[in-house]
Amino acid sequence: MNVRAFAAAVLVAALAVAAVGATGASGGKTADTLTVWLQVDAQSGWPEVVAAANAQFKAQNPGWDVDVQYQTWNTHLSKFDATLAGNSAPDVIEMGNTEMTKYMAAGAFQDLTANTFPNKSTWLAGLAKSGQYGGKIYGVPYYAGSRVITYRTDLFRAVNGKIPTSVAEFSALARKLGAKNKEKSFSPVYIAGTDWYFAMSFVYDYGGTIAVTNKGKWIGTLDRPKAVAGLTAFKRFYDAASRASKTTDEVRPNPYDVYAQGNAASIQGPAWFSCCVGDFKNRTAQFVMPSRTKGQPIPGFLGGSDLAVPIGANKAQAAAWISAFTDNASMTALRAKGNIPNTTSLLGTSVNERAAKRSWFVPTAKHWVNVENGNVLRTMLSRILTNKMSVKDAAEVASDNITFTLNQR
Amino acid sequence: MSAVAPRPAARRRARRRRIGRLAWNVVGLAVFVVVAFPVFWMVSTAFKPDDEINSFTPTWLSTEPTLQHFRDAIARPYFWDTVKNSLIVVGAVVVLSMVVAFLAAVALAKYRFTGNKLFVVLVIGILMLPQAGLVIPLYVVLARYGLTTELMGLVLTHLVILLPFAVWTLRGFILGIPKELEEAAMVDGSSRLGAFARILLPLVAPGLVATSVFIFITSWNEYIFANVILTDQSNQTLTIWLSYFYGTSRNIDWGGLMAASTLTAIPVVIFFLLVQRKIAFGLTAGAVKA
Amino acid sequence: MTVAAETPVHRSRRRRSRLRQWTRASVPYLLILPAIAVITAILGYPLYKLVVLSFQQYGLPELIQRTGVWIGFDNYASVLRDDVFWDTLLRTVIFTVATVGLTIGLGTLIAFLLTRVSSWVRVLLTAGLVLAWSMPAVVAVQVWFWMTNLQNGILNHVLTEAGVGDFAQHDWYETSFSKLAMVSLLIVWDAIPFVTITVYAGLAQVPRELVEAAEIDGAGSLRIFRDVTYPILKPIFLILTSLSIIWDFGVFTQPYLLIGASQVDPSNYLMGVYVFIEAFGQSDFGRGAAISLLMLLIVAILSVFYVRRMVKMGDVR
Repeated sequence: MNVRAFAAAVLVAALAVAAVGATGASGGKTADTLTVWLQVDAQSGWPEVVAAANAQFKAQNPGWDVDVQYQTWNTHLSKFDATLAGNSAPDVIEMGNTEMTKYMAAGAFQDLTANTFPNKSTWLAGLAKSGQYGGKIYGVPYYAGSRVITYRTDLFRAVNGKIPTSVAEFSALARKLGAKNKEKSFSPVYIAGTDWYFAMSFVYDYGGTIAVTNKGKWIGTLDRPKAVAGLTAFKRFYDAASRASKTTDEVRPNPYDVYAQGNAASIQGPAWFSCCVGDFKNRTAQFVMPSRTKGQPIPGFLGGSDLAVPIGANKAQAAAWISAFTDNASMTALRAKGNIPNTTSLLGTSVNERAAKRSWFVPTAKHWVNVENGNVLRTMLSRILTNKMSVKDAAEVASDNITFTLNQR
Repeated sequence: MSAVAPRPAARRRARRRRIGRLAWNVVGLAVFVVVAFPVFWMVSTAFKPDDEINSFTPTWLSTEPTLQHFRDAIARPYFWDTVKNSLIVVGAVVVLSMVVAFLAAVALAKYRFTGNKLFVVLVIGILMLPQAGLVIPLYVVLARYGLTTELMGLVLTHLVILLPFAVWTLRGFILGIPKELEEAAMVDGSSRLGAFARILLPLVAPGLVATSVFIFITSWNEYIFANVILTDQSNQTLTIWLSYFYGTSRNIDWGGLMAASTLTAIPVVIFFLLVQRKIAFGLTAGAVKA
Repeated sequence: MTVAAETPVHRSRRRRSRLRQWTRASVPYLLILPAIAVITAILGYPLYKLVVLSFQQYGLPELIQRTGVWIGFDNYASVLRDDVFWDTLLRTVIFTVATVGLTIGLGTLIAFLLTRVSSWVRVLLTAGLVLAWSMPAVVAVQVWFWMTNLQNGILNHVLTEAGVGDFAQHDWYETSFSKLAMVSLLIVWDAIPFVTITVYAGLAQVPRELVEAAEIDGAGSLRIFRDVTYPILKPIFLILTSLSIIWDFGVFTQPYLLIGASQVDPSNYLMGVYVFIEAFGQSDFGRGAAISLLMLLIVAILSVFYVRRMVKMGDVR
């Protein structure tokens, strides 16, 4: 090893740098390129809808190109923050409906109130609300999904069970299923203990809320009588129906895995759970979770996405692309893939869509995300279900926590 | 004095050494099983069909192994481009960081100059900084240089993160070289730098290898900065490509993820096999027999 | 010999020797120049910005408007007043001590094991270590969780079959302690390969001649270790320990993913998770910067014993 070898190493390093510089410098986008961030669900689920929208946009806006970048849910917000800081934010971004409020409050998006979009007057109320802040529209509803019960038709038939039309009927049916299958690992209705999306449905069914706002101040309302009644009803139903761990969440384990292993007669969750039920595919069907009132669906959590235009973007072209992507043709195609379209005019009668008739949404407070990240509701539920605290006490603690967090500066 | 007498004793010693070695081998294999088991689990899952992966009772080896997950992984968009990108980034980072760090480490370990201690403290100070806080300011800097979405931007980022580690570690290796060996080289009157190059490098070769493997693996698996800097899906590294397997809002394709991870581990192993010969596996100078 | 007057030859020779002196003196600076250049060019601004941000209120709205609000030491004060910060700090220190101890201890033992086995076992074991090392963190966490989950984890299965006790459906993640113990084991498993390979590389630096000379003098293996091996390995142990302290103190990915985003709460926070949830995850960059700098200070104090030794080592030369 000597100076020559050393010089050779330096040369290699220099070549490496040059190689990186050469290959790294991508061809460079044309001056008129629209950058769109969609989630990877579109890439695997409905790429043809995206392609059609791109083609339509390019035809109507000659000289413009579209660059669709697919993102993943766990990191797209930190990437978005970085691009906002570095002045290179995309022109259109797909945001989860629970992610919108924080960014709308911070002024990250452009005002779309004056723009026209397809079906603007018939947007799905639950979804449209997530894109509005301070009376202005910042997000265009994209698509939604609600929660349904996926069940084993053979197990239900074995106890002569009919599709329940009220919570009371469902509890009775669950008890019958439980009596027939006594193993600890089997649940008539598999519900994870800290599945707050399901538990809050009961709260809203009884007329309660998570929090209300008055003159800019937020107040947690889970300790009010109606909410407490809802939580108590949830505990009653849970004790009758689920033998799942009372402290675990709805992802570990996945309910559809439990179902596919034969350890659940029914599970609650998004409609796409039917994809992964293993051997029970032809013995599986779905129905809408009923309310305490006979014949009504329980208010379900409406998950979904909105499309927004960050500040600094080409607003006119961005709005044009969004219009192309959310027109009737696109919505019909999305609906065919099992999603709920953004307009009531195209709403059908699939189980998924019927469940969306009554829905609830999280408080549209800019610090709501912190409540979620702090697992306030999950902690409350696990305390209630494990009897560590009474319903009222646990709700009070959670409520105070929510009030404090939502009112931070 | 007959020459026969020592032999039985020598034979006993040799047998004891063989039994000792056998015992150590058993221990070594046991450690191997424990350490490598998660890797085995990952690879075995990659070959299992989906229903076996989710089944209630775990199986050691698949009863119906399938290559489907591997085929699906390779068929995903941009796979080969991403492999190429990762190799370019890691290759550049390893070469650049080793050269730059080695130069600096030699200076810090062998030369007395003002600012020596200060630079060492600066290096360790940067190592102590939690990286989370640097992500966005770093992105802003790269954006100013026009290096976002460029591989060069990521190379520079990894370089800057790994340089302090490499300098710190290589300095330690150089400081560990016994003085006698150095002085032996100085005697023949060659220049200091020349002596260092000829004597130093073979002695720190094992240290260089260990450090370069660390840099390779860290850069190869680095996710946070790569994810923020390379926002263009056509110009990403394998760790980002891997994240698409578990980043959907729907069910995660575990088989696919395990197959994809197995694929991403291959270049690391190849790199290690190429350089491992320098770590005393057969090295005559400096091999230890305790 | 008469003292001759200084001739032009003498003067030019003096100039040449001074030039050589200057060149020799500038060698170290030239050697560290590339490193300094890269670090300053890329990290200079972020480091400056980090300090500035820690004194500002800088959340998402400020990020979008590009201006922070100067609030002096308010960020630091609110963090230092927070009980959760101190609880987490204590927990993280204990966690770090345990994890670093296990990592260095086990890693060194395995390195010595490598010197005693046949070469085929050595290659196999090293390959296994490198494979373990090369697993991406996300995948390693997932595999670890599968192996240890209460429903169908292989760990419970093996322990029950081996007769260690009845571990069927045992929940290894029930208490905060067991959650963190699992995280610690995962990190130890992940860190051992680097320690082992580095120590082994250090052992390779021990010249055989010195060892044999000592053997001929009649020294036992412990004496040899103390007098010959350890002095050479000392800087390596200092480096590994200092690095392990720094990394294990600020670890984030493994605890956050293994415990699960829905299960992390103040009773099981580690500093890396704490700074994410309380600051960066909420887009509160000012607070995050303050906590980061506090963490820097704390980790410097924790590792000062080892770092000072390493820095001083250069003096002996």
